[in-house]
Amino acid sequence: MGVQPDDVNTGCSAISVQSLNFAYVSAPVLTDVTFTLHPAAVGLLGPNGSGKTTLLRALLGHLPLPPAAVSVLGHDMALAGRVARSRLGWMPERGGLLPGMSGVAMVSYLGELAGMPARDALQRAHEVIDYVGLAEERYRPVQDYSQGMRQRIKLAQALVHDPAWLFLDEPTSGLDPKGRAAMLGLVRDLATQKGLGVIISTHLLADAQAVCSEILVLREGRLLAHERVAPAREGAQERFEIEGFGDETAFAERLRAAGATVARDGRFTVVSVPAGRGAAVILEAGAACGYAMRRMRRRAVTLSEHFLELVEG
Amino acid sequence: MPVYERGYRHWEPSGRAPAAPWWVIARRGILSPLKRRPFLLLLLLAWVPAVVKGTILYFSVQSGDLLKLLGGTWADVDAAGFFAFIERQDSFVMILLAIVGSPLIARDRAENGHALYFARPLTLFDYVAGKGLIALFYILVVTLAPVLLLAIYGYLVTSGATGFDMLLLTPLRATVFCLLTGASLSLVLLALSAAGRRTVFVVLGWLLLFSGTQIIARILSLFGGPWMRVFDFRAQYFHAGSVLFGASPRLDYPPLISWLLILGWTIGAWVFLRRRIRPVEVVS
Repeated sequence: MGVQPDDVNTGCSAISVQSLNFAYVSAPVLTDVTFTLHPAAVGLLGPNGSGKTTLLRALLGHLPLPPAAVSVLGHDMALAGRVARSRLGWMPERGGLLPGMSGVAMVSYLGELAGMPARDALQRAHEVIDYVGLAEERYRPVQDYSQGMRQRIKLAQALVHDPAWLFLDEPTSGLDPKGRAAMLGLVRDLATQKGLGVIISTHLLADAQAVCSEILVLREGRLLAHERVAPAREGAQERFEIEGFGDETAFAERLRAAGATVARDGRFTVVSVPAGRGAAVILEAGAACGYAMRRMRRRAVTLSEHFLELVEG
Repeated sequence: MPVYERGYRHWEPSGRAPAAPWWVIARRGILSPLKRRPFLLLLLLAWVPAVVKGTILYFSVQSGDLLKLLGGTWADVDAAGFFAFIERQDSFVMILLAIVGSPLIARDRAENGHALYFARPLTLFDYVAGKGLIALFYILVVTLAPVLLLAIYGYLVTSGATGFDMLLLTPLRATVFCLLTGASLSLVLLALSAAGRRTVFVVLGWLLLFSGTQIIARILSLFGGPWMRVFDFRAQYFHAGSVLFGASPRLDYPPLISWLLILGWTIGAWVFLRRRIRPVEVVS
Protein backbone atom coordinates (compact mmCIF):
# COMPACT_ATOMS: atom_id res chain seq x y z
CA MET A 1 0.00 0.00 0.00
CA GLY A 2 2.76 2.43 0.85
CA VAL A 3 4.89 4.05 -1.78
CA GLN A 4 7.65 1.80 -2.97
CA PRO A 5 10.93 3.20 -4.23
CA ASP A 6 10.29 1.92 -7.74
CA ASP A 7 6.96 3.79 -7.83
CA VAL A 8 8.73 7.07 -7.74
CA ASN A 9 9.11 8.92 -11.01
CA THR A 10 6.87 6.58 -12.92
CA GLY A 11 3.63 7.61 -14.52
CA CYS A 12 1.66 5.89 -11.75
CA SER A 13 3.10 8.21 -9.15
CA ALA A 14 2.06 11.34 -11.01
CA ILE A 15 -0.77 13.78 -10.53
CA SER A 16 -2.40 14.96 -13.71
CA VAL A 17 -5.04 17.68 -13.97
CA GLN A 18 -6.59 18.36 -17.38
CA SER A 19 -8.79 21.36 -18.11
CA LEU A 20 -10.32 21.33 -14.63
CA ASN A 21 -13.22 23.69 -14.14
CA PHE A 22 -15.13 23.96 -10.91
CA ALA A 23 -17.74 26.40 -9.69
CA TYR A 24 -19.72 26.81 -6.53
CA VAL A 25 -23.34 27.84 -6.98
CA SER A 26 -22.55 30.90 -9.04
CA ALA A 27 -18.89 31.76 -8.75
CA PRO A 28 -16.23 29.90 -10.73
CA VAL A 29 -13.44 28.77 -8.42
CA LEU A 30 -11.17 26.87 -10.80
CA THR A 31 -10.99 27.67 -14.50
CA ASP A 32 -9.25 25.51 -17.07
CA VAL A 33 -6.50 24.33 -14.72
CA THR A 34 -4.03 21.94 -16.36
CA PHE A 35 -0.76 20.56 -14.99
CA THR A 36 1.15 17.35 -14.34
CA LEU A 37 3.25 16.73 -11.25
CA HIS A 38 5.78 14.07 -10.42
CA PRO A 39 6.81 13.39 -6.82
CA ALA A 40 8.59 16.48 -5.54
CA ALA A 41 7.94 19.31 -3.12
CA VAL A 42 5.44 21.53 -4.90
CA GLY A 43 4.33 24.90 -3.58
CA LEU A 44 0.75 25.87 -4.32
CA LEU A 45 0.77 29.65 -4.17
CA GLY A 46 -1.89 32.26 -4.61
CA PRO A 47 -3.65 35.08 -2.83
CA ASN A 48 -6.54 34.34 -0.48
CA GLY A 49 -9.54 33.05 -2.41
CA SER A 50 -7.48 32.03 -5.42
CA GLY A 51 -8.71 28.42 -5.26
CA LYS A 52 -5.79 26.69 -3.54
CA THR A 53 -7.82 24.71 -1.01
CA THR A 54 -10.45 23.88 -3.63
CA LEU A 55 -7.72 22.51 -5.89
CA LEU A 56 -6.41 20.33 -3.06
CA ARG A 57 -9.93 19.07 -2.39
CA ALA A 58 -10.26 18.25 -6.07
CA LEU A 59 -7.03 16.26 -5.86
CA LEU A 60 -8.50 14.37 -2.90
CA GLY A 61 -11.64 13.64 -4.91
CA HIS A 62 -13.80 15.66 -2.53
CA LEU A 63 -15.43 17.63 -5.32
CA PRO A 64 -17.78 16.38 -8.03
CA LEU A 65 -15.39 16.01 -10.94
CA PRO A 66 -15.90 15.23 -14.61
CA PRO A 67 -14.24 11.99 -15.73
CA ALA A 68 -10.54 12.18 -16.63
CA ALA A 69 -10.14 15.73 -15.28
CA VAL A 70 -8.06 14.71 -12.26
CA SER A 71 -5.87 11.64 -12.17
CA VAL A 72 -3.87 10.80 -9.06
CA LEU A 73 -1.48 7.83 -8.92
CA GLY A 74 -3.05 6.53 -12.08
CA HIS A 75 -6.60 6.67 -10.67
CA ASP A 76 -9.31 8.85 -12.15
CA MET A 77 -10.55 10.72 -9.07
CA ALA A 78 -14.07 10.97 -10.50
CA LEU A 79 -14.34 7.19 -10.57
CA ALA A 80 -11.79 5.71 -8.19
CA GLY A 81 -11.17 8.41 -5.62
CA ARG A 82 -11.49 5.99 -2.71
CA VAL A 83 -8.73 3.74 -4.01
CA ALA A 84 -6.39 6.67 -4.52
CA ARG A 85 -7.14 8.14 -1.09
CA SER A 86 -5.62 5.11 0.62
CA ARG A 87 -2.28 6.44 -0.70
CA LEU A 88 -2.84 10.14 -0.06
CA GLY A 89 -2.16 12.07 3.13
CA TRP A 90 -4.13 15.21 3.93
CA MET A 91 -3.28 17.78 6.55
CA PRO A 92 -6.07 20.35 6.77
CA GLU A 93 -5.41 23.89 7.91
CA ARG A 94 -8.42 24.26 10.19
CA GLY A 95 -9.15 21.82 13.02
CA GLY A 96 -8.26 18.33 11.96
CA LEU A 97 -8.10 16.76 15.42
CA LEU A 98 -10.20 14.11 17.10
CA PRO A 99 -10.60 15.31 20.70
CA GLY A 100 -10.85 12.76 23.46
CA MET A 101 -8.02 10.67 22.07
CA SER A 102 -4.33 10.65 22.88
CA GLY A 103 -1.92 11.48 20.07
CA VAL A 104 -0.99 7.88 19.44
CA ALA A 105 -4.61 6.68 19.65
CA MET A 106 -5.73 9.27 17.11
CA VAL A 107 -2.94 8.49 14.66
CA SER A 108 -3.37 4.72 14.87
CA TYR A 109 -7.17 5.06 14.57
CA LEU A 110 -6.79 7.10 11.38
CA GLY A 111 -4.23 4.60 10.13
CA GLU A 112 -6.77 1.83 10.54
CA LEU A 113 -9.35 3.90 8.70
CA ALA A 114 -6.85 4.22 5.86
CA GLY A 115 -6.87 0.43 5.56
CA MET A 116 -4.08 -0.67 7.88
CA PRO A 117 -4.44 -3.68 10.18
CA ALA A 118 -4.79 -2.59 13.84
CA ARG A 119 -1.36 -3.80 14.95
CA ASP A 120 0.42 -2.28 11.95
CA ALA A 121 -1.40 1.01 12.52
CA LEU A 122 -0.36 1.16 16.17
CA GLN A 123 3.26 0.38 15.34
CA ARG A 124 3.33 2.95 12.53
CA ALA A 125 1.65 5.54 14.76
CA HIS A 126 4.54 5.27 17.23
CA GLU A 127 7.08 5.54 14.40
CA VAL A 128 5.60 8.62 12.75
CA ILE A 129 5.02 10.31 16.11
CA ASP A 130 8.72 9.80 16.85
CA TYR A 131 9.53 11.15 13.41
CA VAL A 132 7.55 14.37 13.86
CA GLY A 133 9.13 14.86 17.28
CA LEU A 134 6.19 14.23 19.57
CA ALA A 135 7.57 11.15 21.27
CA GLU A 136 7.27 12.59 24.78
CA GLU A 137 3.71 13.78 24.25
CA ARG A 138 2.20 10.80 22.51
CA TYR A 139 -0.10 9.81 25.38
CA ARG A 140 -1.43 13.30 26.06
CA PRO A 141 -4.97 14.07 24.87
CA VAL A 142 -4.73 15.93 21.58
CA GLN A 143 -7.03 18.72 22.75
CA ASP A 144 -4.35 19.68 25.30
CA TYR A 145 -1.65 20.07 22.64
CA SER A 146 -0.08 23.44 21.87
CA GLN A 147 -0.45 24.87 18.35
CA GLY A 148 2.96 23.55 17.33
CA MET A 149 2.14 20.08 18.63
CA ARG A 150 -1.20 20.15 16.86
CA GLN A 151 0.47 20.85 13.54
CA ARG A 152 2.91 18.01 14.16
CA ILE A 153 0.24 15.48 15.10
CA LYS A 154 -1.71 16.51 12.01
CA LEU A 155 1.39 15.78 9.95
CA ALA A 156 1.77 12.43 11.75
CA GLN A 157 -1.80 11.38 10.93
CA ALA A 158 -1.22 12.31 7.30
CA LEU A 159 1.90 10.11 7.24
CA VAL A 160 0.74 7.08 9.19
CA HIS A 161 -0.41 5.01 6.22
CA ASP A 162 2.74 5.86 4.24
CA PRO A 163 1.13 7.91 1.49
CA ALA A 164 2.68 8.47 -1.91
CA TRP A 165 1.54 12.09 -1.89
CA LEU A 166 1.05 14.49 1.00
CA PHE A 167 -1.27 17.47 0.67
CA LEU A 168 -0.51 20.10 3.30
CA ASP A 169 -2.79 23.10 3.72
CA GLU A 170 -0.86 25.93 5.40
CA PRO A 171 1.35 23.56 7.46
CA THR A 172 3.20 26.37 9.26
CA SER A 173 0.07 28.29 10.17
CA GLY A 174 0.28 29.59 13.74
CA LEU A 175 3.80 28.29 14.39
CA ASP A 176 6.60 30.27 16.04
CA PRO A 177 9.87 30.61 14.04
CA LYS A 178 11.42 27.54 15.66
CA GLY A 179 8.35 25.42 15.08
CA ARG A 180 8.11 26.69 11.53
CA ALA A 181 11.71 25.77 10.80
CA ALA A 182 11.15 22.30 12.29
CA MET A 183 8.01 21.74 10.23
CA LEU A 184 9.72 22.86 7.03
CA GLY A 185 12.66 20.61 7.87
CA LEU A 186 10.31 17.63 8.10
CA VAL A 187 8.59 18.48 4.84
CA ARG A 188 11.91 18.94 3.06
CA ASP A 189 13.16 15.62 4.41
CA LEU A 190 10.03 13.81 3.26
CA ALA A 191 10.25 15.21 -0.24
CA THR A 192 13.97 14.97 -0.80
CA GLN A 193 15.03 11.93 1.23
CA LYS A 194 11.94 9.77 1.53
CA GLY A 195 10.59 10.03 -2.01
CA LEU A 196 7.16 11.40 -1.12
CA GLY A 197 5.39 13.91 -3.29
CA VAL A 198 4.36 16.92 -1.23
CA ILE A 199 2.02 19.72 -2.22
CA ILE A 200 2.12 22.66 0.17
CA SER A 201 -0.64 25.20 -0.09
CA THR A 202 0.67 28.37 1.45
CA HIS A 203 0.58 32.10 1.20
CA LEU A 204 3.99 32.32 2.91
CA LEU A 205 6.36 32.55 -0.01
CA ALA A 206 9.36 32.02 2.23
CA ASP A 207 8.00 28.58 3.10
CA ALA A 208 7.68 27.63 -0.53
CA GLN A 209 11.13 29.03 -1.26
CA ALA A 210 12.66 27.08 1.61
CA VAL A 211 11.19 23.72 0.70
CA CYS A 212 9.77 23.51 -2.79
CA SER A 213 11.42 22.61 -6.04
CA GLU A 214 8.33 23.56 -8.08
CA ILE A 215 5.55 26.07 -7.72
CA LEU A 216 2.02 26.32 -9.01
CA VAL A 217 0.66 29.86 -8.92
CA LEU A 218 -3.09 30.40 -8.91
CA ARG A 219 -5.00 33.63 -9.25
CA GLU A 220 -8.79 33.78 -9.34
CA GLY A 221 -8.91 30.08 -10.09
CA ARG A 222 -6.56 30.22 -13.07
CA LEU A 223 -3.15 28.60 -13.14
CA LEU A 224 -0.73 31.43 -13.89
CA ALA A 225 2.50 29.50 -13.66
CA HIS A 226 3.95 26.06 -13.11
CA GLU A 227 7.68 26.50 -12.74
CA ARG A 228 10.70 25.14 -11.02
CA VAL A 229 11.57 27.28 -8.04
CA ALA A 230 15.27 27.76 -8.88
CA PRO A 231 14.65 29.52 -12.21
CA ALA A 232 11.85 31.49 -10.65
CA ARG A 233 14.11 32.61 -7.83
CA GLU A 234 17.15 33.35 -9.92
CA GLY A 235 15.12 34.71 -12.77
CA ALA A 236 13.09 32.90 -15.39
CA GLN A 237 13.59 36.46 -16.40
CA GLU A 238 17.07 37.81 -15.75
CA ARG A 239 16.99 41.25 -14.21
CA PHE A 240 19.60 44.02 -14.40
CA GLU A 241 20.01 47.39 -12.74
CA ILE A 242 21.50 49.98 -15.08
CA GLU A 243 22.76 53.44 -14.40
CA GLY A 244 23.93 55.62 -17.33
CA PHE A 245 23.33 58.69 -19.43
CA GLY A 246 22.05 59.38 -22.92
CA ASP A 247 18.68 59.06 -24.61
CA GLU A 248 16.87 56.94 -22.10
CA THR A 249 13.60 56.91 -24.03
CA ALA A 250 15.24 55.50 -27.16
CA PHE A 251 17.20 53.00 -25.05
CA ALA A 252 14.03 51.81 -23.36
CA GLU A 253 12.19 51.50 -26.67
CA ARG A 254 14.99 49.41 -28.17
CA LEU A 255 14.98 47.15 -25.16
CA ARG A 256 11.22 46.69 -25.33
CA ALA A 257 11.50 45.89 -29.03
CA ALA A 258 13.98 43.16 -28.07
CA GLY A 259 11.44 41.63 -25.67
CA ALA A 260 12.70 43.15 -22.43
CA THR A 261 10.67 44.85 -19.71
CA VAL A 262 11.87 48.25 -18.60
CA ALA A 263 11.05 50.09 -15.38
CA ARG A 264 12.49 52.91 -13.30
CA ASP A 265 13.60 52.34 -9.72
CA GLY A 266 15.02 55.61 -8.39
CA ARG A 267 18.11 56.45 -10.37
CA PHE A 268 18.27 52.98 -11.88
CA THR A 269 16.69 51.60 -15.01
CA VAL A 270 15.56 48.07 -14.19
CA VAL A 271 15.57 45.78 -17.21
CA SER A 272 14.16 42.26 -17.23
CA VAL A 273 15.19 40.11 -20.16
CA PRO A 274 14.17 36.55 -20.99
CA ALA A 275 16.47 34.01 -19.35
CA GLY A 276 19.43 32.95 -21.48
CA ARG A 277 19.72 36.16 -23.50
CA GLY A 278 21.61 37.86 -20.69
CA ALA A 279 23.38 41.19 -20.88
CA ALA A 280 24.02 40.99 -24.61
CA VAL A 281 20.55 42.37 -25.40
CA ILE A 282 21.18 45.37 -23.17
CA LEU A 283 24.64 46.08 -24.51
CA GLU A 284 23.39 45.88 -28.09
CA ALA A 285 20.52 48.28 -27.34
CA GLY A 286 22.85 50.71 -25.59
CA ALA A 287 25.33 50.65 -28.48
CA ALA A 288 22.57 51.14 -31.07
CA CYS A 289 21.18 54.31 -29.50
CA GLY A 290 24.33 55.74 -27.97
CA TYR A 291 23.36 55.20 -24.37
CA ALA A 292 26.45 55.14 -22.15
CA MET A 293 26.26 52.80 -19.22
CA ARG A 294 28.12 53.71 -16.08
CA ARG A 295 27.02 50.69 -14.11
CA MET A 296 25.18 47.46 -14.90
CA ARG A 297 24.49 44.92 -12.19
CA ARG A 298 22.51 41.67 -12.13
CA ARG A 299 19.70 41.79 -9.57
CA ALA A 300 18.35 38.57 -8.09
CA VAL A 301 14.63 38.09 -8.56
CA THR A 302 13.09 36.87 -5.31
CA LEU A 303 10.19 34.46 -5.31
CA SER A 304 8.12 37.23 -3.76
CA GLU A 305 8.86 39.57 -6.66
CA HIS A 306 8.18 36.85 -9.17
CA PHE A 307 4.95 35.93 -7.43
CA LEU A 308 3.79 39.54 -7.32
CA GLU A 309 4.58 39.96 -10.99
CA LEU A 310 2.49 36.91 -11.78
CA VAL A 311 -0.53 37.66 -9.64
CA GLU A 312 -0.60 41.36 -10.37
CA GLY A 313 -0.18 40.75 -14.07
CA MET B 1 16.72 16.15 17.50
CA PRO B 2 17.57 16.95 13.86
CA VAL B 3 15.30 15.44 11.26
CA TYR B 4 18.02 13.29 9.70
CA GLU B 5 18.60 11.52 12.99
CA ARG B 6 14.98 10.43 13.16
CA GLY B 7 13.80 7.48 11.20
CA TYR B 8 11.04 7.45 8.68
CA ARG B 9 10.58 4.08 7.12
CA HIS B 10 8.10 3.18 4.48
CA TRP B 11 5.39 0.90 5.77
CA GLU B 12 5.78 -2.76 5.01
CA PRO B 13 2.35 -4.40 5.35
CA SER B 14 2.33 -7.35 7.73
CA GLY B 15 -0.21 -9.22 5.64
CA ARG B 16 -2.87 -9.17 8.35
CA ALA B 17 -6.37 -8.34 7.14
CA PRO B 18 -7.55 -4.80 7.87
CA ALA B 19 -10.91 -4.28 9.57
CA ALA B 20 -13.85 -2.69 7.76
CA PRO B 21 -13.89 1.08 8.34
CA TRP B 22 -17.36 1.05 9.94
CA TRP B 23 -16.17 -1.55 12.42
CA VAL B 24 -13.03 0.49 13.23
CA ILE B 25 -15.24 3.51 14.02
CA ALA B 26 -17.76 1.46 16.01
CA ARG B 27 -15.13 -0.41 18.04
CA ARG B 28 -13.31 2.76 19.03
CA GLY B 29 -16.56 4.52 19.91
CA ILE B 30 -17.85 1.62 22.00
CA LEU B 31 -14.64 1.11 23.96
CA SER B 32 -13.80 4.77 24.65
CA PRO B 33 -16.64 5.51 27.14
CA LEU B 34 -15.88 2.31 29.06
CA LYS B 35 -12.61 3.86 30.24
CA ARG B 36 -14.57 6.38 32.31
CA ARG B 37 -15.51 5.11 35.74
CA PRO B 38 -18.71 7.16 36.16
CA PHE B 39 -19.95 5.80 32.88
CA LEU B 40 -19.24 2.24 33.98
CA LEU B 41 -21.16 2.87 37.19
CA LEU B 42 -24.09 4.18 35.16
CA LEU B 43 -24.03 1.02 33.05
CA LEU B 44 -24.03 -1.10 36.20
CA LEU B 45 -26.93 0.95 37.55
CA ALA B 46 -28.84 0.28 34.33
CA TRP B 47 -28.59 -3.43 35.11
CA VAL B 48 -30.07 -3.09 38.59
CA PRO B 49 -33.68 -3.42 37.32
CA ALA B 50 -32.71 -6.69 35.63
CA VAL B 51 -31.26 -7.99 38.88
CA VAL B 52 -34.41 -6.88 40.74
CA LYS B 53 -36.66 -8.56 38.19
CA GLY B 54 -34.58 -11.72 38.37
CA THR B 55 -34.78 -11.74 42.15
CA ILE B 56 -38.55 -11.15 42.20
CA LEU B 57 -38.97 -13.82 39.55
CA TYR B 58 -37.05 -16.31 41.66
CA PHE B 59 -38.96 -15.63 44.86
CA SER B 60 -42.34 -15.53 43.13
CA VAL B 61 -41.65 -19.03 41.82
CA GLN B 62 -40.57 -20.13 45.30
CA SER B 63 -43.25 -18.45 47.38
CA GLY B 64 -46.20 -18.63 45.07
CA ASP B 65 -48.90 -16.09 44.39
CA LEU B 66 -48.31 -13.59 47.20
CA LEU B 67 -45.01 -12.21 45.91
CA LYS B 68 -46.25 -12.49 42.36
CA LEU B 69 -49.16 -10.26 43.36
CA LEU B 70 -46.85 -7.77 45.06
CA GLY B 71 -44.33 -7.83 42.22
CA GLY B 72 -46.86 -6.85 39.56
CA THR B 73 -45.35 -6.77 36.05
CA TRP B 74 -41.91 -7.23 37.62
CA ALA B 75 -42.88 -10.83 38.32
CA ASP B 76 -44.45 -11.45 34.91
CA VAL B 77 -42.54 -13.92 32.80
CA ASP B 78 -44.69 -13.55 29.71
CA ALA B 79 -43.91 -11.39 26.66
CA ALA B 80 -45.90 -8.43 28.02
CA GLY B 81 -43.88 -8.56 31.25
CA PHE B 82 -40.63 -8.31 29.32
CA PHE B 83 -42.05 -5.54 27.17
CA ALA B 84 -42.85 -3.61 30.37
CA PHE B 85 -39.28 -4.22 31.49
CA ILE B 86 -37.88 -2.72 28.26
CA GLU B 87 -40.21 0.25 28.71
CA ARG B 88 -38.86 0.84 32.21
CA GLN B 89 -35.29 0.89 30.85
CA ASP B 90 -36.21 3.95 28.85
CA SER B 91 -34.68 6.51 31.18
CA PHE B 92 -31.34 4.66 31.06
CA VAL B 93 -31.50 4.64 27.27
CA MET B 94 -32.11 8.38 27.31
CA ILE B 95 -29.22 9.16 29.66
CA LEU B 96 -26.72 6.76 28.08
CA LEU B 97 -27.42 8.04 24.60
CA ALA B 98 -27.20 11.64 25.75
CA ILE B 99 -23.71 10.89 27.06
CA VAL B 100 -22.42 8.59 24.34
CA GLY B 101 -24.36 9.69 21.30
CA SER B 102 -24.55 13.46 21.46
CA PRO B 103 -20.90 14.18 20.60
CA LEU B 104 -20.62 11.50 17.92
CA ILE B 105 -20.93 13.84 14.95
CA ALA B 106 -21.14 17.27 16.65
CA ARG B 107 -17.58 16.96 17.88
CA ASP B 108 -16.28 15.95 14.46
CA ARG B 109 -18.05 18.94 12.96
CA ALA B 110 -16.67 21.29 15.59
CA GLU B 111 -13.09 20.11 15.07
CA ASN B 112 -13.25 19.59 11.31
CA GLY B 113 -12.81 15.87 11.95
CA HIS B 114 -14.67 15.07 8.73
CA ALA B 115 -11.65 16.34 6.82
CA LEU B 116 -9.62 13.55 8.40
CA TYR B 117 -12.25 10.83 8.05
CA PHE B 118 -13.06 11.50 4.42
CA ALA B 119 -9.44 11.93 3.37
CA ARG B 120 -9.38 8.16 3.96
CA PRO B 121 -11.04 5.58 1.70
CA LEU B 122 -14.27 5.92 3.64
CA THR B 123 -17.88 6.15 2.43
CA LEU B 124 -20.73 8.02 4.05
CA PHE B 125 -22.26 4.63 4.86
CA ASP B 126 -19.09 3.53 6.70
CA TYR B 127 -19.13 6.70 8.75
CA VAL B 128 -22.83 6.68 9.65
CA ALA B 129 -22.94 2.92 10.22
CA GLY B 130 -19.89 3.10 12.49
CA LYS B 131 -21.28 5.97 14.52
CA GLY B 132 -24.79 4.48 14.58
CA LEU B 133 -23.51 1.15 15.87
CA ILE B 134 -22.01 2.90 18.88
CA ALA B 135 -25.43 4.25 19.91
CA LEU B 136 -27.15 0.97 19.00
CA PHE B 137 -24.70 -1.03 21.11
CA TYR B 138 -25.50 0.92 24.26
CA ILE B 139 -29.24 0.71 23.60
CA LEU B 140 -28.98 -3.06 23.29
CA VAL B 141 -26.73 -3.40 26.33
CA VAL B 142 -29.43 -2.03 28.62
CA THR B 143 -32.52 -3.43 26.85
CA LEU B 144 -31.99 -6.55 24.76
CA ALA B 145 -29.07 -8.06 26.67
CA PRO B 146 -30.88 -8.18 30.07
CA VAL B 147 -34.07 -9.44 28.41
CA LEU B 148 -32.21 -12.31 26.75
CA LEU B 149 -30.47 -13.24 29.99
CA LEU B 150 -33.71 -12.95 31.98
CA ALA B 151 -35.50 -15.13 29.45
CA ILE B 152 -32.96 -17.90 29.88
CA TYR B 153 -32.93 -17.35 33.63
CA GLY B 154 -36.75 -17.40 33.77
CA TYR B 155 -36.83 -20.63 31.81
CA LEU B 156 -34.40 -22.19 34.26
CA VAL B 157 -36.05 -21.02 37.51
CA THR B 158 -39.49 -22.07 36.33
CA SER B 159 -38.01 -25.45 35.38
CA GLY B 160 -39.14 -25.01 31.81
CA ALA B 161 -42.75 -24.22 32.74
CA THR B 162 -42.67 -21.14 30.55
CA GLY B 163 -41.59 -23.39 27.72
CA PHE B 164 -41.06 -22.53 24.09
CA ASP B 165 -42.48 -19.03 24.40
CA MET B 166 -39.91 -17.99 26.99
CA LEU B 167 -36.95 -19.57 25.26
CA LEU B 168 -37.63 -18.59 21.67
CA LEU B 169 -40.58 -16.29 21.00
CA THR B 170 -39.94 -13.68 23.70
CA PRO B 171 -36.25 -13.32 22.85
CA LEU B 172 -37.17 -13.12 19.18
CA ARG B 173 -39.79 -10.45 19.78
CA ALA B 174 -37.38 -8.50 21.98
CA THR B 175 -34.60 -8.80 19.39
CA VAL B 176 -36.79 -7.51 16.56
CA PHE B 177 -38.19 -4.70 18.68
CA CYS B 178 -34.86 -3.58 20.14
CA LEU B 179 -33.05 -3.73 16.80
CA LEU B 180 -35.75 -1.78 14.95
CA THR B 181 -36.28 0.87 17.60
CA GLY B 182 -32.56 1.00 18.34
CA ALA B 183 -31.69 1.62 14.70
CA SER B 184 -34.34 4.32 14.46
CA LEU B 185 -33.28 6.01 17.72
CA SER B 186 -29.62 5.86 16.67
CA LEU B 187 -30.31 7.55 13.35
CA VAL B 188 -32.43 10.26 14.99
CA LEU B 189 -29.71 10.88 17.56
CA LEU B 190 -27.02 11.07 14.85
CA ALA B 191 -29.16 13.54 12.92
CA LEU B 192 -29.47 15.68 16.04
CA SER B 193 -25.74 15.41 16.59
CA ALA B 194 -25.10 16.43 12.98
CA ALA B 195 -27.32 19.48 13.40
CA GLY B 196 -24.99 21.24 15.77
CA ARG B 197 -21.37 21.69 16.67
CA ARG B 198 -21.83 22.04 20.41
CA THR B 199 -22.54 18.86 22.30
CA VAL B 200 -24.48 20.64 25.03
CA PHE B 201 -27.12 21.78 22.55
CA VAL B 202 -27.39 18.27 21.14
CA VAL B 203 -27.93 16.91 24.68
CA LEU B 204 -30.65 19.52 25.28
CA GLY B 205 -32.29 18.65 21.97
CA TRP B 206 -32.20 14.96 22.81
CA LEU B 207 -33.73 15.48 26.25
CA LEU B 208 -36.40 17.70 24.74
CA LEU B 209 -37.19 15.04 22.16
CA PHE B 210 -37.27 12.23 24.70
CA SER B 211 -39.01 13.84 27.67
CA GLY B 212 -40.12 17.26 26.47
CA THR B 213 -42.35 15.89 23.71
CA GLN B 214 -43.96 13.56 26.24
CA ILE B 215 -44.88 16.45 28.51
CA ILE B 216 -46.06 18.63 25.63
CA ALA B 217 -48.13 15.81 24.10
CA ARG B 218 -49.82 15.08 27.42
CA ILE B 219 -50.75 18.72 27.92
CA LEU B 220 -52.02 18.98 24.34
CA SER B 221 -54.07 15.80 24.70
CA LEU B 222 -55.95 17.42 27.59
CA PHE B 223 -57.35 19.94 25.13
CA GLY B 224 -57.11 18.27 21.75
CA GLY B 225 -57.95 14.67 22.59
CA PRO B 226 -55.88 11.46 22.44
CA TRP B 227 -54.64 12.12 18.90
CA MET B 228 -52.42 14.82 20.33
CA ARG B 229 -50.24 12.01 21.67
CA VAL B 230 -48.76 11.70 18.16
CA PHE B 231 -46.39 14.43 19.36
CA ASP B 232 -45.01 12.09 22.04
CA PHE B 233 -41.79 10.89 20.38
CA ARG B 234 -40.90 8.01 22.65
CA ALA B 235 -44.45 6.70 23.19
CA GLN B 236 -44.73 5.89 19.49
CA TYR B 237 -42.07 3.19 19.83
CA PHE B 238 -43.86 1.42 22.68
CA HIS B 239 -47.26 1.83 21.08
CA ALA B 240 -45.88 0.27 17.90
CA GLY B 241 -44.05 -2.41 19.91
CA SER B 242 -47.18 -3.44 21.79
CA VAL B 243 -48.27 -5.26 18.62
CA LEU B 244 -45.08 -7.32 18.56
CA PHE B 245 -45.37 -8.35 22.20
CA GLY B 246 -49.11 -8.83 22.27
CA ALA B 247 -49.32 -6.24 25.04
CA SER B 248 -52.08 -3.70 25.58
CA PRO B 249 -51.78 -0.63 23.29
CA ARG B 250 -50.12 2.37 24.90
CA LEU B 251 -52.08 5.02 22.98
CA ASP B 252 -55.64 5.48 21.74
CA TYR B 253 -55.11 5.17 18.01
CA PRO B 254 -54.03 2.29 15.75
CA PRO B 255 -50.37 1.21 16.23
CA LEU B 256 -49.93 1.43 12.47
CA ILE B 257 -49.93 5.22 12.84
CA SER B 258 -46.98 4.94 15.21
CA TRP B 259 -45.12 2.62 12.84
CA LEU B 260 -45.63 5.14 10.02
CA LEU B 261 -44.49 8.04 12.20
CA ILE B 262 -41.34 6.15 13.22
CA LEU B 263 -40.64 5.22 9.62
CA GLY B 264 -41.12 8.84 8.57
CA TRP B 265 -38.72 10.40 11.02
CA THR B 266 -36.17 7.63 10.56
CA ILE B 267 -36.07 8.26 6.82
CA GLY B 268 -36.01 11.99 7.54
CA ALA B 269 -33.01 11.52 9.82
CA TRP B 270 -31.14 9.55 7.15
CA VAL B 271 -31.88 12.19 4.49
CA PHE B 272 -30.72 14.91 6.87
CA LEU B 273 -27.50 13.01 7.59
CA ARG B 274 -26.82 12.61 3.87
CA ARG B 275 -27.21 16.33 3.36
CA ARG B 276 -25.22 17.30 6.44
CA ILE B 277 -22.21 15.01 6.07
CA ARG B 278 -20.72 15.41 2.65
CA PRO B 279 -17.50 13.74 1.66
CA VAL B 280 -18.18 15.16 -1.81
CA GLU B 281 -19.57 18.64 -2.22
CA VAL B 282 -22.76 19.02 -4.17
CA VAL B 283 -23.05 21.94 -6.53
CA SER B 284 -26.42 23.06 -7.78
